[in-house]
Amino acid sequence: MDMSNPPRPSLERRREINWHLPAPYTWRMLVLLIAVAGLLLVSARRVDIDKFLALSAEAIAAQLGLRESSQVGRGLARIGKDLFPITLSYRTDVSRVADFDEAKLPWLAYVETVDHREYRMNPDTTKLEETVSRKKVMVEPLGYLTLTVGKMIETIEIAIWATILAVLLSIPLAYLGAANYTPNRAIYAIARGTVSLLRAIPELISALFLVLAFGFGPVAGFLALGLHGAGFLGKFYAEDIEAADKKPQDALRALGASKIRVLRLSVLPQVLPSYIAYTLYILDRNVRMATVIGLVGAGGIGQELKGRYDLFEYGNVGTILVVIFVTVFLLDQISARLRARLIA
Amino acid sequence: MSAPLSMGAEGQHRAMLSFNRVSKQFAHGVKALDGVTFDVPRGEFCVILGPSGSGKSTLLRALNGLTPLSSGRIAVDGAELKPKSLRSVQRRVAMVHQQFNLVERLDVAQNVMSGAVADAAFWRVLLKWYPKSLRERACDLIARVGLDELHLTRRMGELSGGQQQRVGIARAFLLDPDVILADEPVASLDPATSRDVLTLLRDAARERGTTVLCSLHQLDLALDFADRIIAMRSGSIVFDGRPDALDRSTVASIYEGSGLEQSRVAA
Ligand SMILES: Nc1ncnc2c1ncn2[C@@H]1O[C@H](COP(=O)(O)OP(=O)(O)O)[C@@H](O)[C@H]1O
Ligand SMILES: [Mg+2]
Repeated sequence: MDMSNPPRPSLERRREINWHLPAPYTWRMLVLLIAVAGLLLVSARRVDIDKFLALSAEAIAAQLGLRESSQVGRGLARIGKDLFPITLSYRTDVSRVADFDEAKLPWLAYVETVDHREYRMNPDTTKLEETVSRKKVMVEPLGYLTLTVGKMIETIEIAIWATILAVLLSIPLAYLGAANYTPNRAIYAIARGTVSLLRAIPELISALFLVLAFGFGPVAGFLALGLHGAGFLGKFYAEDIEAADKKPQDALRALGASKIRVLRLSVLPQVLPSYIAYTLYILDRNVRMATVIGLVGAGGIGQELKGRYDLFEYGNVGTILVVIFVTVFLLDQISARLRARLIA
Repeated sequence: MSAPLSMGAEGQHRAMLSFNRVSKQFAHGVKALDGVTFDVPRGEFCVILGPSGSGKSTLLRALNGLTPLSSGRIAVDGAELKPKSLRSVQRRVAMVHQQFNLVERLDVAQNVMSGAVADAAFWRVLLKWYPKSLRERACDLIARVGLDELHLTRRMGELSGGQQQRVGIARAFLLDPDVILADEPVASLDPATSRDVLTLLRDAARERGTTVLCSLHQLDLALDFADRIIAMRSGSIVFDGRPDALDRSTVASIYEGSGLEQSRVAA
């Protein structure tokens, strides 16, 4: 051994170390895993996962030509046949239009003459007789599409106003519900409680009741979505205020600034990017939800959808679904771009 | 002599800052300040020297109300610091922070102008739209601390540490305070930048007659920049005097056990 060098730990010395390195998995984890798997199996029976698998297998077999047809395949085919071709035009019986003037038709519209067959019981013979009358029908080739797009725009407007309401409500709720800015514990508890309550009530349910209060139409829709959105934003805004960097806040507090001023100059600039992200998410969600709550009569395209569905006018339902899909897709693109630009 | 002048003369004799038996006991038993007493005359560059944990930050933060005292009295320009008078004192006392404490997502100009946060009209703070005189003053200060026009709209993340602390100093001077508290203003900067920034702080304060209470843990910087050094250890003052009066044994007692900064004093 070279004595001039400082002593190094030798291999002999290393053997004396008798540490216990814990294994990455334990028996408890294994037991837990088996228990969870068992519970999932029980639950699978309860939600008919087995039925789903059987029907899907049948559909795939039919596709591969191993079976003649399948229940799922027939269902999907019927939907396809019902919804397509989608209805773009709008037909109006001329006799129903007051002061109809054939010289002053709307853009692209034309008049068609159709045979209209009616079966009436002849009171003398008590037999059904066919009567054919000639009827004039005004056809607007893109009439229904225009109407649907109009409804969609109304839906987007509902969503925008709902988002504005949500933001306006959630700003004070977030301020009062942020532990480090709230005036006192009681107000804090009330603000946080309100936010939880707003978030807990599903839009569809509150829309149902708001329709009773405000009648059919957009008011109920915009309120239902706005209140629910305020529940989300109030929570997220408040949590961001609490988590914001304390150092710049300290600096302004040391200058004698009031809470509101500190919040404005040192918290708001820090949390603004995530606020914008949350708000855009709520807007996106509101557009999608606004189409749904129309089903209970709260205005927008959903109300139109429900009406057509109830009348078995599936071609029109198809148009509505296509318009909704295109809108949601475009909205995705726009909000992604907005986000990138605003959060620089 | 006219009355205002004599009052001014009286002000010259009165200490700008006065600490009288100041103590601070934190909730979990740590005694951060233990009967600290000293006065700082107007216009002095006074360095609080001490190793980490000696109570420097607590002392400075007591002065602008960020840390409430357990006992003792502090007076600023003769007016005792009380909860009621705190706001008015805070407007005359600005602070420069170790971590700069600037708002990352505001630009240089906005960060400097935020020094007027307590003073400007509320709507101006809301809109971040300050009066012309204040905007011009901010530009003058930004130029004075060695940044140029291109920096005005830069955000903090794009600046080096030294540049950020220059912004912090400009913010502190915005309302022409009587006192600047600097809590280890150069602790997160490299040695050369530290000297530049301290030079800036000292010179800007001298030009305006601003009293500076600056905490440092580096002996060499304290010796080179201070008009007067107050050395602390475990919440008590162990030395108070001019830098050239600081001898080897005192330094040893300040840094005992921390193994730092003992070589410089021999010179
Ligand atoms: N908020 C606090 N709560 C409890 N103890 C604190 C707090 N702030 C500082 N201390 C303690 O007070 C002592 C002095 O701290 P500080 O004034 O920060 O020293 P310095 O700035 O000189 O490093 C330290 O022991 C520190 O742990
Ligand atoms: Mg400190």
